[in-house]
Amino acid sequence: MKRLLLTIISTSMVLLLLAFGHYREWFLDKPLYYWNDFCKEVRHPASLGEVRRIRYGTPYILSMKIQEAAKAGQLHDPVFLFEPNSFYHDSLHVDLNMPEPAIFYYYTGLKAVWMNSPTVQKANYLVVIRKGEVKIEHIRTTLQLQEILTHYRSFTPIL
Amino acid sequence: MALTFLIICHFFTGYGLLRLLRIGHKPLVLFPLSFLAGVAVDSFLPFLLQLCHCPLYPATVFGSLGLVSLLLNIDGLRLIAAGRVRMSWKLNNILPTIRIRSYELPFLLFLSFLVFVSVWRCYYLPPTTRDALSGPEAIAECAVQEHTIMNSFFTVDLSTTNNQFKSPFLISLQVIYKMAGFPFGQIWLSIIFVSFTLFLYQLLKRTLHPILAGLLLLLMTIAPELYAYSFMILYDYSNMVFFFLGTYFLFRSDRTGARDSDFFFASFMMGVSTYIRSETLVLVAFFLPLIVRKDWRNKIPPGGMFRRAVLFFLPSMAAYFLTTWLYINYYLPVRYDIGSLTNPHLFQLGALYHVYVNMITELVTSAWSIDLWGYFIILWAAVILADVLVYRRLSRTARDWLYAVGVVFFGLGLLSHIFPLMEIDLTIKRGFLKILPVMLFCLANSRLLIVLSSRITKWEERKDHPDAAASDTHLSPSSSASPMRSPSGPRI
Repeated sequence: MKRLLLTIISTSMVLLLLAFGHYREWFLDKPLYYWNDFCKEVRHPASLGEVRRIRYGTPYILSMKIQEAAKAGQLHDPVFLFEPNSFYHDSLHVDLNMPEPAIFYYYTGLKAVWMNSPTVQKANYLVVIRKGEVKIEHIRTTLQLQEILTHYRSFTPIL
Repeated sequence: MALTFLIICHFFTGYGLLRLLRIGHKPLVLFPLSFLAGVAVDSFLPFLLQLCHCPLYPATVFGSLGLVSLLLNIDGLRLIAAGRVRMSWKLNNILPTIRIRSYELPFLLFLSFLVFVSVWRCYYLPPTTRDALSGPEAIAECAVQEHTIMNSFFTVDLSTTNNQFKSPFLISLQVIYKMAGFPFGQIWLSIIFVSFTLFLYQLLKRTLHPILAGLLLLLMTIAPELYAYSFMILYDYSNMVFFFLGTYFLFRSDRTGARDSDFFFASFMMGVSTYIRSETLVLVAFFLPLIVRKDWRNKIPPGGMFRRAVLFFLPSMAAYFLTTWLYINYYLPVRYDIGSLTNPHLFQLGALYHVYVNMITELVTSAWSIDLWGYFIILWAAVILADVLVYRRLSRTARDWLYAVGVVFFGLGLLSHIFPLMEIDLTIKRGFLKILPVMLFCLANSRLLIVLSSRITKWEERKDHPDAAASDTHLSPSSSASPMRSPSGPRI
């Protein structure tokens, strides 16, 4: 009988903890939400590529588009130059963050630089993103690169 | 198959190490501890192979895991071969000690649910932070393809990050698990999480009634920040676990009559913790006054005191030397000047005072702190305060754990002062994870909770049917002699 009483007490403790206040919100927002994710995945398992897309979001999707474009265009030793994220935010007013070069390499195995990178001179392709579409422009000369850098000079590259 | 091999390797490596150091404990404590020690030892192997310029192929990596596991168990294997130890005998000893009472089930079921969700996230949908993606995770991914940690990742523009200089702990474990066929690696974190939860629960039950043990463990586990780090690959959860193990075995060595085995294991665990996050070295140093004070009380001669202090600090120093000096300066193909990151005004103590004030206002008393730790820290403060008010002083063990709480708090503040890049709302916040299990054991040694546990147990036994009590005693011979039942028994 006393075991039953203690069991009722311990069950009540757990239920009370989850029924009120901060822990309730947390439980609904996190573990239960993840559990629902799990149930969805059991019904409709995603491929590894889909899981990565869900996990890493827009920067990953855009990076893969760049990789596909590089493959389709048969680019040799491309070093991509990304427009500054502050340009997307402040000029185009879009919520877009291109990954930093290290993470872009992790996603795609391709090299990239930012406008303020010490190795920006190595850039030979400019990546332009408009309305979710990726456009790659060949940078043929140092002069052309300088013009691009001057064009984006007022936008500080940020994470 | 590969996962089974890895789990077996982790277990036997840890078990072999515990046997070698003659760490004695209940089987249900040794079981999760073996996994934790095994993961710790195995996390050095790909890194050491790299230091020896041995290429990282599945054969070399898994071969080294198996070899270390065998080497650490030679003694045990010899005994089994000689027929002096039988596995069935061991199982017969372990199985009866597994006893779950009905009132433990609500906590255990809820903890199991949390563990399941965490393991699933770890395996299938891991949240990967920028800190991991722009450093250790990317290095590990390239290492699997190029068979070396010094890989093409270091030819990329790394001007936006310094995460490539982080400890090889994460790289090594990610290499092992990626080679085993897990695209996100990371299952090792679940092994650490599950083992640590089991380990804590078994230890808490030694001093507290299972209801209180379950409740406290649950309150710590559902601290939102701590739970999030149980499936997010970064250094902080593992750092917390091994720092706690170091602290626990240090205090245990004192409690069990200066047992060298516990002391050595504590120093090794602190070394692992420093290997994971090099700044832990400062926290380890904060324990030296406590060791000297205890040795003084135990009338150990100055030479012995010095020897013990050096022995305790040496593994952490070696880990720091290995990861910070040797690895960064002589192996990585890029340079890092740690000196340039230090505060040039170290002796402005006013600034240090402000760091501590900010830590309290941001991490302890703010509304944000509830988002981070739930009500755990408030509960801890209330119980300790009640302990002091009711009993006038804390027990010796609780005072030790309170000292450890101070080590984490004041140590992290000092680190933030020395390295201004360690911001309170980022690095220090994550370092603060270490304070939670330490607080948990402060609570486990609170006189108030021990007396409450004792009263619940007495009430439970008084009202219980005599046959049921007898059958319990028969099932678990050690249970009736549990220290939890006697307030004067040994503490954890």
